[in-house]
Amino acid sequence: MLELRDIRAAYGKIEVLHGLDLTVAAGEIITVIGANGAGKSTLLKAISGLVKLSGGSIALDGERLDTLSVEQVVSRRLIQVPEGRQLFGPLTVAENLALGSYSRRRKGTPVTERLKKVFALFPRLEERKGQQAGTLSGGEQQMLAIGRALMAEPRILLLDEPSMGLAPIIVRDIFATLRTLNQEGLTMVLVEQDARIALSLAHRGLVMERGRIVLADTSQGLLANPEVQAIYFGQRAGGRAGAGSGGGR
Amino acid sequence: MTFDQFLQYILSGITSGSVYALTAVGFTLVFSATQIINFAQGQMVMLGGMMGITLHEAGLPLWACFIGAVAVVAIVSVGMEEIAIRPLLRKGVLTQIIATVGASFIFETAAMLIWGRDAKPLPPFTGETPIAIGRATVVPQTLWVVGLSIVVVVALTIFYRKSLYGTAIRGCAVNPEAARLQGISYRRVVVFTFALTGAVAAAAGVMIAPISFMGYANGTMLGLKGFAAATLGGLGNPVGAVLGGFLLGIVEALGVGVVSAGYKDAIAFVILLLVLFLRPAGLMGAKVVNRQ
Repeated sequence: MLELRDIRAAYGKIEVLHGLDLTVAAGEIITVIGANGAGKSTLLKAISGLVKLSGGSIALDGERLDTLSVEQVVSRRLIQVPEGRQLFGPLTVAENLALGSYSRRRKGTPVTERLKKVFALFPRLEERKGQQAGTLSGGEQQMLAIGRALMAEPRILLLDEPSMGLAPIIVRDIFATLRTLNQEGLTMVLVEQDARIALSLAHRGLVMERGRIVLADTSQGLLANPEVQAIYFGQRAGGRAGAGSGGGR
Repeated sequence: MTFDQFLQYILSGITSGSVYALTAVGFTLVFSATQIINFAQGQMVMLGGMMGITLHEAGLPLWACFIGAVAVVAIVSVGMEEIAIRPLLRKGVLTQIIATVGASFIFETAAMLIWGRDAKPLPPFTGETPIAIGRATVVPQTLWVVGLSIVVVVALTIFYRKSLYGTAIRGCAVNPEAARLQGISYRRVVVFTFALTGAVAAAAGVMIAPISFMGYANGTMLGLKGFAAATLGGLGNPVGAVLGGFLLGIVEALGVGVVSAGYKDAIAFVILLLVLFLRPAGLMGAKVVNRQ
């Protein structure tokens, strides 16, 4: 479905992605774990088109995406839930959701039907639909960010740190919703620092370090991997030299 | 000052306030979408007026002059964005603002070369017989100017609040990157905003031309007054811009009555300075001013 071949990306002269390969099959959840600065968010931004590639290619069902603008990538229904939610704070919940449907306002399921589905998944958003997004709690904001993305009827959902800054009980609820969405067929690429919860959701996982994929396996394989356990779950094992502070939460 | 004189000054203030309000709305819409203060906004009003006059001299009916001037100035406004502002995107907002100042000089000089130094009139839309309001009187064109301002403000409010594209523009103003991730083209929003503000400015220019004539140099003062009104209301807040425009027009008119006509322009700038000293976010205190 989604195919990344030897992708490279740079901020100015500093290359941050050094040739990554990744294939995502339909219906799959892939999680990318790694320390701060490993290049996880840049990877998602590269897929969305927010960061232009300096080499390699990205294709969706054979169509090159890396030559398209962000807006064109969005119209192919690759929808990103960005790090830090990036809601439209002064706009209401309903307006944020309406903007989520912008790229498919004249296509697909009627917008009112999509709205019903989002409200069924996150009833609290319906209760607060007239409230300014910036005044919601952190958990509600994350629900809104995911709800806004669902309004675009995504084929692939790109999630950047959905657990960031949230209480564990909220994270559990949100990940349960993501599991439900996946069971309905939604493909996801999930970037997370909370490796345990990310791997418990995903089918496959990748470990990134300094702009490279250093480990790729099934989620079960990574959960059982002593190196991963040592670095990301704080358990004693051999340990990888130079690993950052990504895990342990 | 008698009550009748007071009423006359208020009516006169509302008339000029309408034009300031429409100019201020232009400032505030561009600022909201791009953080740029477009100092060529007043010249857009002037170009609208001059364009309307030219089309009328060419024999077109007034309604066609109005539509033609609005269309031409909308295109000129977009052209200015494409040629003078867009290439400076990476240089920062301050550089882009300075480019608008440069553009205003170009428009003014070009207008002088094309239309000459003399101000020209446009015939009133519906006659010149004054209408009595109490013991004060207004010319019918005043009703056109005030009516247009109200229609434009109501239409813009409905558009920005109720339509999906209007909401998308507000989203872009808050967070351009997040807007792009919803598939909203920031470029299109910017082009649309410049076209819209050019059109609003031109409409104001055509409407005011029968009352106060229009010449190449009128844009500077109109622009500065519009900027003062936008700042007074709270830059980035369209409702504030309208209120600021009317307030400025009325205070200015009363100042003429109480002090002297010679101080008319000074009054606007004293108000601007007072606002900047005492309440920099303006009367409506738009959040957008401090969002960074």
